[in-house]
Amino acid sequence: MKKIRYYFALHVAKLAQFLMKLLGRNATFLPGKIAIKLSPDFLKHLTPPKTVIAVTGTNGKTTVSNLLSSILTQNGYSITNNSFGSNVQAGVISALIEDTTIFGKPKKDIAVLEVDERSSLLIYPDLKPDYLVCNNIMRDSLKRNAHTEFIQFIISKALPLSTKLVLNADDIISSSLKKDGQACVYFGISAEKPEGNIPQHIKDIVYCPECGAILESEYVRYNHIGRHFCTACQFQSEAPDYVITEIDREKDMFTILSKDGEEKYNLINDNIVNVYNFAAAIALLKELGLDHEQIAKGFSKTKIVKTRFEEIESGNLKITMLMAKGQNPIACARCYDYVAKVPGDNKCAILVVDDKDDNINNSESTCWLYDCDYSALADPSIKQVIFCGPRCKDHLLRALLAGVDESKISITEDCSESVNLLNTDICQHIYVLHELYRPEDARTVKNGLISLGKETHHGN
Amino acid sequence: MVIEILFDESCNLFGDGQNSAYLKATLPEAQFIYTKITDVPYFVEQDPDIIYIGSMSESVQRRVINKLMPYKERLFALVEKGTPILATGNAGEIFCKHIQYVTEELEIDGLGIFDINVKTDLFDRYNGKVLADFENFKLVGFRSQFSMLYGDNTDYAFTKVIRGIGINRDSKLEGLRRNNLICTHILGPILPLNPLFCEYFIALTGTKAEAAHKEAALSAYYQRIKEFEDPVVPC
Repeated sequence: MKKIRYYFALHVAKLAQFLMKLLGRNATFLPGKIAIKLSPDFLKHLTPPKTVIAVTGTNGKTTVSNLLSSILTQNGYSITNNSFGSNVQAGVISALIEDTTIFGKPKKDIAVLEVDERSSLLIYPDLKPDYLVCNNIMRDSLKRNAHTEFIQFIISKALPLSTKLVLNADDIISSSLKKDGQACVYFGISAEKPEGNIPQHIKDIVYCPECGAILESEYVRYNHIGRHFCTACQFQSEAPDYVITEIDREKDMFTILSKDGEEKYNLINDNIVNVYNFAAAIALLKELGLDHEQIAKGFSKTKIVKTRFEEIESGNLKITMLMAKGQNPIACARCYDYVAKVPGDNKCAILVVDDKDDNINNSESTCWLYDCDYSALADPSIKQVIFCGPRCKDHLLRALLAGVDESKISITEDCSESVNLLNTDICQHIYVLHELYRPEDARTVKNGLISLGKETHHGN
Repeated sequence: MVIEILFDESCNLFGDGQNSAYLKATLPEAQFIYTKITDVPYFVEQDPDIIYIGSMSESVQRRVINKLMPYKERLFALVEKGTPILATGNAGEIFCKHIQYVTEELEIDGLGIFDINVKTDLFDRYNGKVLADFENFKLVGFRSQFSMLYGDNTDYAFTKVIRGIGINRDSKLEGLRRNNLICTHILGPILPLNPLFCEYFIALTGTKAEAAHKEAALSAYYQRIKEFEDPVVPC
């Protein structure tokens, strides 16, 4: 009976997918929702592709799953993925339905599925991934994700012991997902070790997971990402099986050391957050059996998607569009830090980050601004900071509390006005840090800057 | 003035850590003591002027209760003496009588200053806003929690909400208060978001101070009140 319900749900969902596409809709969520409604244990009956890879974690899952899909496709594998859709249960099911025949057979070799951490309990017990990549577990939306212990608990509870884990050795929280008897490899970065212990705005793990003593750090790259040990017991960060030993920013190459020796790959992006993403992807691909040549070929042809990182030149202005996920304090702080550390002293940061739309179906919370470290914006190389959008007053107060000089801050609720506030005499490299869910505002600022660049150029 | 921040290394979820930063910006001359979970709290032997503790995970909450239990009488004495103590988010729950952790199937006693019980369920999260009348000004803030409080806080509620919920979904009486011990489920940056409350709280020590970055803070505060008063905006 259950199997009949499954086939009925599959066919209705596939029909819905077909009709939605006919109407030019994405069909990346609703078909899955319909399938679950008609057959609540749909996922239990679905036959997935031969290999199922789940990619989860707070930051980097989209980049890692896009990289994996791209490199695997370039090497001739057929891939099911949800990169253009939702990463919750209905999104994952929609992607799988699309690549399942009406007889319930998978059409593709491998599923690369980005999975929202909160959806773990609804997905892993039935789908049973062969591999799970977890890049990091960090503070995220306080409304949905609460705190990292909660997320670690959920993923851990949901994951079957049969899943092989690919975990970040430099993140104690995600590396603690491994249970006794579970297959696991770790990745990490040993290159560019920070000197000393730079105080962090927030750390999501401070106590030893074994004995509860306060952890000591060999070094911390950001937040709790780094190498830690406990002086009260023998606990220490895991040793990575795949470790990036060199980042050559001049040649845009990086070196990774594993049981296969040292191998070099193209550095697609030099943000350390993305370098971790690359290490995660290589570790997984190697575990799947791909060799250096196959992976390197993929790295030479792959770019970070434009919605996340884009560089434009317009007249005298260089514009960098950088996605800064709202409600995600660490992702945002990494963007601020990145802007501060990029060479040059003519920088302006325009922030288009707010979650006012959250109020439509929910209750927006701006608490996360105070978990986010704004101190990088005080860097003297950033000559001007412009906060635009409905939460500009909150950003202003937060920045003042972080020590950003008030004289270099401008605010406007109207994003199109931000371009007029820009002082092009002192700022020629403009970083637009924008929220994923406000593309229209980001576009307004981008187009305004492009026009301004052209005008300034012609004016000269 | 001496301000003790309890267990700031882990009791700092949801932006709570910036309450001490705002106090520091407002009271630059004050001495701040950051007590770690492995330290003996400063208040055990000395009289701090203010004590602050912020939101924490459930496992840390159990550890904090264990840590403070031996100093329960001393804490009671400070409360009776009128020491201003602010506990935000789920930190105030440590002063309740009993905590039930539904998901972990655990039950423990709290410090018992309030005859109130706590029920924490990791699969029942509440998110919302708070707009409340307090003294001669308004309070605004956010809530995000797995726990609800049960019991009668009529005589010792912190505030009555205009919008949002009280100690549980059926209550309009938010938080707990005994003398100058204020426990509120408003979490995160309650002080920078409420500069008038920040000044009020500091005034409980007998010191008058102007909230840091007051102009910017008030501007954001009044905009927030206006938004929260709008019935279209969900609370």
